[in-house]
Formats: sequence, structure tokens, C-alpha cells
Amino acid sequence: MLKTALRSVFLRLEQVCEKFFGPALNPWVHVGSLGWFLFWIVTVTGIYIYVFFDTGVTQAYASLEYLSREQWYLGGIMRSLHRYASDAMVVVVMLHLLREFSMDRMRGNRWFPWVTGVPLLWFLYACGITGYWLVWDQLAQYVAIATTEWLDSIGIFAEPIARNFLDSSHLAGRFFTLMAYIHIAVPLIMLLFMWVHIQRHAHSRVNPPRTLGFAVLGTLVALALVEPAMSQAPANLDRAPFEVGFDWFYLTVYPLLDVVSGRVLWAALIGGSVFLTLLPWLPPLHKAPPAVVHLDNCNGCGRCFADCPFGAITMVGRTDGAEFDQEARVDADMCMSCGICVGACPTATPFRRASALVPGIELPTDPIAGLRDRVVAATGPLQGNDRVVVFRCAHAGNLDTLADPGVAVVPMPCVAMLPPSFIDLVISRKHADGVLIAGCAEEDCFERLGNRWTDERIASQRDPHLRDRVDRDRVAVSWASPAQQHRTRETLGQFRQHLRTAFASPRPGRTGVAWRAQLRELAAPLRFVGAAAVLGAVAVLIGWFATRPAYAYLHHDQALLKLSFSHAAQPLKPCRHYSPQELAKLPFNQRRATTCERGRWPVYLELDLDGRTIHRATHRPAGLWDDGPSTVYASFRVPAGLHRLEVRLRDSGRATGFDYASSATVSLTPGQNFVVDFRGTEGGFQFGRAPAHGPVVQETPP
Amino acid sequence: MSLLEWRDEFRIGIAEVDHEHQVLIGLINDLHGALGAERSRERVEEFLGEIFARISAHFALEEKDMQARRYSESGTHKADHERLLDDIRDIMDEHSEHGILDEDAFSARLAAWFADHFRTHDARLHKYLQTQR
Repeated sequence: MLKTALRSVFLRLEQVCEKFFGPALNPWVHVGSLGWFLFWIVTVTGIYIYVFFDTGVTQAYASLEYLSREQWYLGGIMRSLHRYASDAMVVVVMLHLLREFSMDRMRGNRWFPWVTGVPLLWFLYACGITGYWLVWDQLAQYVAIATTEWLDSIGIFAEPIARNFLDSSHLAGRFFTLMAYIHIAVPLIMLLFMWVHIQRHAHSRVNPPRTLGFAVLGTLVALALVEPAMSQAPANLDRAPFEVGFDWFYLTVYPLLDVVSGRVLWAALIGGSVFLTLLPWLPPLHKAPPAVVHLDNCNGCGRCFADCPFGAITMVGRTDGAEFDQEARVDADMCMSCGICVGACPTATPFRRASALVPGIELPTDPIAGLRDRVVAATGPLQGNDRVVVFRCAHAGNLDTLADPGVAVVPMPCVAMLPPSFIDLVISRKHADGVLIAGCAEEDCFERLGNRWTDERIASQRDPHLRDRVDRDRVAVSWASPAQQHRTRETLGQFRQHLRTAFASPRPGRTGVAWRAQLRELAAPLRFVGAAAVLGAVAVLIGWFATRPAYAYLHHDQALLKLSFSHAAQPLKPCRHYSPQELAKLPFNQRRATTCERGRWPVYLELDLDGRTIHRATHRPAGLWDDGPSTVYASFRVPAGLHRLEVRLRDSGRATGFDYASSATVSLTPGQNFVVDFRGTEGGFQFGRAPAHGPVVQETPP
Repeated sequence: MSLLEWRDEFRIGIAEVDHEHQVLIGLINDLHGALGAERSRERVEEFLGEIFARISAHFALEEKDMQARRYSESGTHKADHERLLDDIRDIMDEHSEHGILDEDAFSARLAAWFADHFRTHDARLHKYLQTQR
């Protein structure tokens, strides 16, 4: 349902774009390879930025400011390209995913690229998020704190990593350097997965057509000049940003953290990924049985192996004792039953009739002998001098409207299942006056390579090729998506007209490529303007959502109050001295003065804001033996102004009462990041980093 | 009477190709023998179609082996293959259109092609493969 709706949207959009870009350069059919192209742009620009980038926490911002301002003409453009190409990558990756989903190109045996694509999404987002972190502006500050708080919500880190960004005194340069290396390592792992992603596809397209690549690069450069990627105000951990310019491509889910807890968001994303991973089998696909090899007719020539788009055929040592080196073997788990291998088999020629026409490889449900009979039967009743047999691919949509006394339609799983000798048969034995092959849109074959192989076989560029004796003026092709079937109808009409007139007087046969109809297309300037408008619109979209709309992190009258510290509570049992006798029994290297049993009390903590308790929790000690420090990290958005804070802490076995208590009246300015800390050895609670934060009136514990 | 005869000097040195050469010649002779005395149009057509398919498959294998061994003259060698296939297709069309198969001429053409092909192209390939060892 969703799939069908999505598919019709895609087909419509693709149809519009095809008017401007033409079928071969239609960006929709190249979203996958554009992802690769953008990856290389990001890599090259990233290396350039790295040359000038200073990984020191205080110098990172300044080094990027230098790039964007003093070296705007190169470094600035590189930086903008780095950002916008990354954003564009999210766009093409998402379109690629939705498109393959809507076209059903991930079902059953085609699960491999789909499933390996899911971790790629995670890597992609990890790349973007760590990238924004490195700029160390206000967005980076937000990203750092939100990400670490979110990671801490999992609860696997003994010490919350968000504490690295508690305030400016906590920030460590080392952590920052680590981020820089993560930002380099993740893309490398991602590249490895991108390589794995295409492993099961023969002749994967990892480069878009050159013209399209240049057009995309040009568009991004234009965007970089019009709207250079700049840093926001520098990060200041003692203040919280009110609003940050937001990259909605990479940080899409972050605002959700205001609504749901970190754990819920993790669960949703992981659950979503699992669901995505299972999609190829939901529901299980009932597909046609795989191709089978008939060894009596297979000499191991390897043409099916060369043409299989899914790598489902391997050439293995002979198993039947025949004196050939190899035979073809079909991997049933990878075969899509498209029949392209049958079209490649030299023994799949309809001129054979001896006993049964059995080729070296064929589809059990769609035997080649049956295809021959269907062709003969369908062409039998045709009349006129413009009789056409249309070999129609199963994915080309409904062609019933072609029905006509002069037209026979022969459907097949993929038009590349047709051995070229079938065309030879139809024309030489005059079963029809012309052959029209109607398959999927150019560069967008459902079975990946069907129309490419068909074109090359007809043009004698690929074996088995159509013999030169067949006049190419009698062989037409029409590549069109289900939404463009009018083009196939128009092609058929023109083709029949051509058949009626072109052969009125004898003429020499033509070799080379198949006959193509002259379909109406827009004038060249109009196409150029249209293509530019499409790319421009995408650029505007990317440029806009890369920073807008801003995300409101804090209201203008709010301050951030953080309660965070790490404190080792009292041991469950006090340590005691070893007696001399006990000591004597111990091995020499284990003799110590005291022995302590492992285990500590939890830290029980309460925080009151203006008399209202806003935090009340028991914080368990860290470590497998519960013997580490308890760590507290809590963050609150509070109105600016005067507040009375009361904190109470229990870290011993007492049932009631508190071991530490402290209170203070603090004045919070809007946007202030105020930290309540606790240091057991330095007198207990500390309110902010006085005197930097204005008047703090501290009272003595009761 | 057999249309063609296998001779040992036809060997080129690729076991599977030599094997299929012999099989092919045997098959052509067998098919020819099985045509029977009445020579029905249909039987002849089957015979020609089968020969065409088998020779196509054989050439596909030989061309793959030539490419795998980086034989520099595989282009001209392949062109000679195509010449024979075109010849056979001509004969097929002629038979299909006029119901005529001049067996002696057909036999002579096949034999001539084989002899010529073995003497030139296959011999050259044979020599090349020996230098590769």
C-alpha cells in the first residue's frame, strides 16, 4: 500500500526529471552511484580541511575561522563542499533506500545490499554528528552535550561521558582529539561497508555518468559560494546556547530527546533498524524457482556467468565426467530467476528443434522451448506488412493496450532472457516484419543489466550478439518505466510506420544499434533550464535545512542547572587491620596492613529548588562488585533569577537523615550553565564556580 | 558416408577444445546419418539447427579459452568463426526458403572451412599456446 503509493510518486518525479535530463542522465536512476560520488567529494575536501585543522580544543574553532574567512576562496569552498556534499549524501542515500524499497528491489534473494545498507545508515549519521562536533561552535557544544547525555542514557559507561562537557573546567583536549580520530575512522569503516554493500552485484555502478557528476559538483560549488558554511558563535561551556542553527539532515532525531527519554529513542532507532533489516522477508517472497543447468548442453563457455547481474552463477569443475574443464553452477540463494543467463546461452537458439529444445541453462517455469512455441503461436495470426512481435519485460507495466491484429505481445521475466537468435528467427523466417523489445527504463532495469546487455547484444558488442544478417531497421527497442508506457506505444506506432515505408524498395540491411523512435522531447535550452532548476531546487533545500530552522535549546529567560559529581560512598563494612597471625599465613606478596571487603553503599541524593524536590534518586556504585564511585548527572532547565537550592546526600548505611547537606541562594542569569558539584574530601557541595558566577550565598551545613 | 573426418593434426592443445572438436565432428556425422533416406524437410531443418547451436556453443568455449590465455589474434580467429556461422545460417535460410539442401555442397563447404580453419587459425593458436608453456 505504502509501497505502491511511494512507487507512483517516484515514477511521477522520475518522469518529470527525465524530460529535462534525458533517460541516461536522469538523477533518480543514479542516486546510488551519486552517493559514492558525494562520498569522494567529502573525502577529498575532508583531507584538505584536515591539513589546516587544529585538533586542540581551543584552536579548532580558530583554525576553521581561518579557512572560512582568510582562505574563503579555497579552504572556505572546501569546507562548504564538505558540509553540503555530506548533507546531499543523506538526501541521496534516503532516496536510494526509499526507491529500492518502493520498486521492490530488496526482496528475497536481493536482501544482501539492503541488509548491509542498514549499518551504513548508522555510519553515515555517526560521520555527520562527529563532524559537527569538531567545529566547536555553539552547535558543536549542543551536539556534544546532547550526544553524550544520550549515550549515557544507555548506562554502559561507568562515568557519564557528558561530564566531559560539564563546564569549561572539565573540558579535556584529549577527548576532542579522540573525536577527530573517530571522525576519520568511521568514514573508513563506512567505505569498507560500502564495498561490501555492492559485493553481490556484478558490474555495480559506483560512478554516476560524468556529465551528471560535474553538474552535481557544480551545483554544490555554486551553493558553497552563495551560502558558505560558517561556524556559529564559539562554544562556551559555562553558558548554554539559546538557539542553534541546526543541520536537519544529520540531527533529525535530536529534538526528540526533548520529548522522549534517551533510552526510548535508542530503542526506537534500534527497533527501526531491525525492522528495516527484516523488510526483505516481510512477508516471505514466493519467487519462481532458480535457473537450472543442463549439463548435456553445457560446455562451460561461461557466457551465463559473465552476464548474471546477481553473481548467482559460478564456473566450477566438471562434475559429470565430461571432458570439459568447467560447468556453470547456480546458487539458488542468489538467483533472481530473471532468465538473463538463458539469453546468454549459445545453445538456447530456437533454430534447434531436435527432440526437445533444451539449452545449457534455463528457467524451469519458463523454458526456452515454450518461448519458441509462444512466439510461433502468437505471430501466426498476424496480418499486414507491419507485423510486430513485442518482447515485453514483466516490469514494463501493462501493454495490453497494444493489442492489434498486427501486433503480438510475448511477455517474459526480463527481455535479456531473449537469446538474440530468436530475433534472427522471427525476421528470417518472416514470423513478423519487425521485433520490438520493450523493457525497463534506461539505466534502471529491474534485473539491473537487462537492457544494457540487450543493447550490447544487438549492437554486436557482446556475445551472444545478434547476427549481422538481421537488418537492424527491423529491430527496435523501447526502454520505459511503467509510468512512461505511452512512449512504448508511440515507439510501436512509429516503428510500424517505418516498417510499412522503409522496405517498399529493396535496400541493404543495416548493422549496429537497434532502431529507436524519434520521441518528442523538450528543446535543448528548455531542458538545460529545467535540469538546472531541479538541481538548484535541491541545492536550496540542502542549503536551507543545513542550518535552518534554528533549534531552540533554551528559552531566553532560562538557565541550565546541572547536578553532577562522582563520589565514592562509605564501604559496606569498615576496613580492618590484619592481625600478625593472619599476615603470616598470607603469601609474601599479598601482605598488606589492612583488608577491606568489597562493596559500597549507594549514594542517595535529593535536590530542592525553591522548596520543591526536583531530583530524588539512589545512585548505585559503579563496578561489578559495587565498589566504585557513584556518579550523578542530572540537568534541569530553570527560569533565570534568584533561586534557593537545597541538596542532601546520604552515602552510608544510616536509615534516616543525611551525611551531607547544604543550601545556597543563587542568582542565575539567562543562558547560564550552573553546576552543583560535590567533593567529599573538600568540604562537600560546591555551588557553581564562584566567584565567576555572581553572588552565591553559601550556608553552613546543619 | 561421413561428412567430416577428425584428424590428429587438428589438435590445438586445449584439452576441452580438442575434445569438443572431435565430439562435434562425430555429432555432425551422426546427425547426418540419422537424417534417414526420406530426407524430410523437417528433419533436415532440425539437423541444421542442431549443428548451428552446437558449433555456436563450441566457438563460445574456444573464444573464452583464447581470451583467458590472452591470445593476441583472438579477434581474427573469432571473425573466422563468425564466417562459418554465417555460412551455416545462409544454408539454413536457403533450405528454409526453397527446401533445398545440396548435401555435397554443404559437406564440401563444411569440410573446406574446417580444413582451412585448422590449417591457419587453429594452427596459429596451437603455436601460440606452445610458446606460452
